[in-house]
Amino acid sequence: MNDIAIDIRDVTRTYKMGEVEVHALRGVSFTVQRGEYVAIMGPSGSGKSTMMNVIGCLDRPSTGTYLLDGIDVSKLDDNQLAEIRLKKLGFIFQGFNLLARTDAIKNVGLPLFYAGLPARVRNERAIAALTTVGLGDRTHHKPNELSGGQQQRVAIARALINDPTVLLADEPTGNLDTATSADVLALFSSLHAEGRTIIMVTHDEEIAGNAARVIRLRDGLVVSDGPSGQKIA
Amino acid sequence: MPYLEEALRVLLGNKVRSLLTVTGLIIGVAAVIAIQVLGNGMAGAVSGALGTLNDHAFILFPNAQQGDFQRAAIRLGELDDIKATVPGVVEALPAGQARDLVHVGHAQYRLGVYGDSDQRFNIVPFAQGAAFTPQDVASKAKVCILTDAAYKKLFPDGGDALGKSIYIGNGRFVVVGVQAPPRTGILNATFGGDVAIPYTAYIAKYVRHGTIFAARFVLADDAPLTETEAAVIKRLRELHKNDKNSQYQTFDKASFASSIGSIFGAMTMIVGLIGAVSLLVAGIGIMNIMLVSVTERTREIGVRKAIGATRTQILLQFFIEALALSTVGCLIGLAIGLSIGWAVNNFAIVKLTGTVAPIPWVQATIIAVGFATVVTLAFGTYPAYRAAGLDPIEALRYE
Repeated sequence: MNDIAIDIRDVTRTYKMGEVEVHALRGVSFTVQRGEYVAIMGPSGSGKSTMMNVIGCLDRPSTGTYLLDGIDVSKLDDNQLAEIRLKKLGFIFQGFNLLARTDAIKNVGLPLFYAGLPARVRNERAIAALTTVGLGDRTHHKPNELSGGQQQRVAIARALINDPTVLLADEPTGNLDTATSADVLALFSSLHAEGRTIIMVTHDEEIAGNAARVIRLRDGLVVSDGPSGQKIA
Repeated sequence: MPYLEEALRVLLGNKVRSLLTVTGLIIGVAAVIAIQVLGNGMAGAVSGALGTLNDHAFILFPNAQQGDFQRAAIRLGELDDIKATVPGVVEALPAGQARDLVHVGHAQYRLGVYGDSDQRFNIVPFAQGAAFTPQDVASKAKVCILTDAAYKKLFPDGGDALGKSIYIGNGRFVVVGVQAPPRTGILNATFGGDVAIPYTAYIAKYVRHGTIFAARFVLADDAPLTETEAAVIKRLRELHKNDKNSQYQTFDKASFASSIGSIFGAMTMIVGLIGAVSLLVAGIGIMNIMLVSVTERTREIGVRKAIGATRTQILLQFFIEALALSTVGCLIGLAIGLSIGWAVNNFAIVKLTGTVAPIPWVQATIIAVGFATVVTLAFGTYPAYRAAGLDPIEALRYE
């Protein structure tokens, strides 16, 4: 068992926007141990979204290597990346991104559908995941019948269902009010306490304060990497 | 099949749109299938209408368009000549009928009287008795055969008519046969009148000046129909000294059936063309909606990809959605088309012909399945391909 979940070495990412080359990442290196709770911070334009996409295997680095759970994913093709996302990553989005008109149990079971598991297994594990996030009694509710906080918890259950190496959250509280945000962050904390590896991208210092470690990006470079100073419970 | 379940949920989530999308397909499939059913019905109707006509027989009459039918009038002696000289002709007799008063007891009717032979032109089965004998024909016997309609008029109480006497004009004739009711309806081609008497008796009783308008010929079973018709016309024109005004035409079961067949062929082609056009229009409609759907669901596609769906899985999902749409459309079209065809067959064609054609299930199903397959493959592939090709980062950012 590899203790290092994420190992990023000299990763750059350059886009072409018409004639202009945009250097979104200019050489980023860091590692994340299993069980860590890391916040990635930075102002807009700092490269944190690109960092998120690379970590999430939605994008490939232009140069450098990225080992996820010991696998070099920087050279994989689209189908291989899809499989990595399916098996090693759990995404949590700012806008929840649940399927409309689809009840919680089906939303949560969707990754297992793509993994080719039968409906019975999907449903069993979806119920277990929903119970973990405290929604064991909402399995057949559709997104429009759930509050924002509940929807985000369904999304977290969906991210957990494959037992991923890393939970990847992109502004997970951005669409929630303060009280509900606190609930979701408490859920993250308890998942962290259970040993989950969590990477959270945010621009909010308070939210980032929940993580044990904060990596700050600016202009495509890591400007600081260390324990979060101001933990707000 | 979870993909199908997923597709149905999407389509049912937008019922009105789904239904409007497949309307073109429904109309196209329904039209083509209805015409198939009707074509079958009409083909059945033709064979039903001509079913009792002897395969080895034809009618010959002057061609009034190309010649002068007075000049072309056929004389009785010419019939005997043709019967003697043209190989394969076993019987030649006048084709006309005479309206005459027919009565039994006090009941009297004006009925069509025609001549018949022991060599039957029209092979309607008998309900009672049998055909004329060669002796009846040779001796101009005073015997008669009634059609079912005439029997019902003259013998309203039913019962055995054989041996009973009826009066035709002022002559007494003995009933030797009663024909079975015809299988066919309004288009009933009996090629005769109501009461048959031996054609020799008919000639003696009704033919004046030895000329007749048209003639019937019965051929030997092994005589080639078309060639014999040509030989009869050739001989007849010789007898008329090849006068350019003596032109003839013939009517027989085979040529009539083939001309009807070519009409259906043309009709089928036209409907096929309409079907192809409606297929195209319906397909474009489906493609359009699928493209709209892909655009609307860009973000959803991004999410699906982010959680691990492969390109193939997305492709399959949208492809199955298109397939479900066109399958539903084609099934509705199939049901409507069969219903229309069935209704027209059962309420209109049956009135004309008395026969109900069987529904061509196999053909209809093949058409519907074919339409669904072609539409899906031709018009569902591109939107699905586009969905599958979306970049997940762009898709997730889509508002």
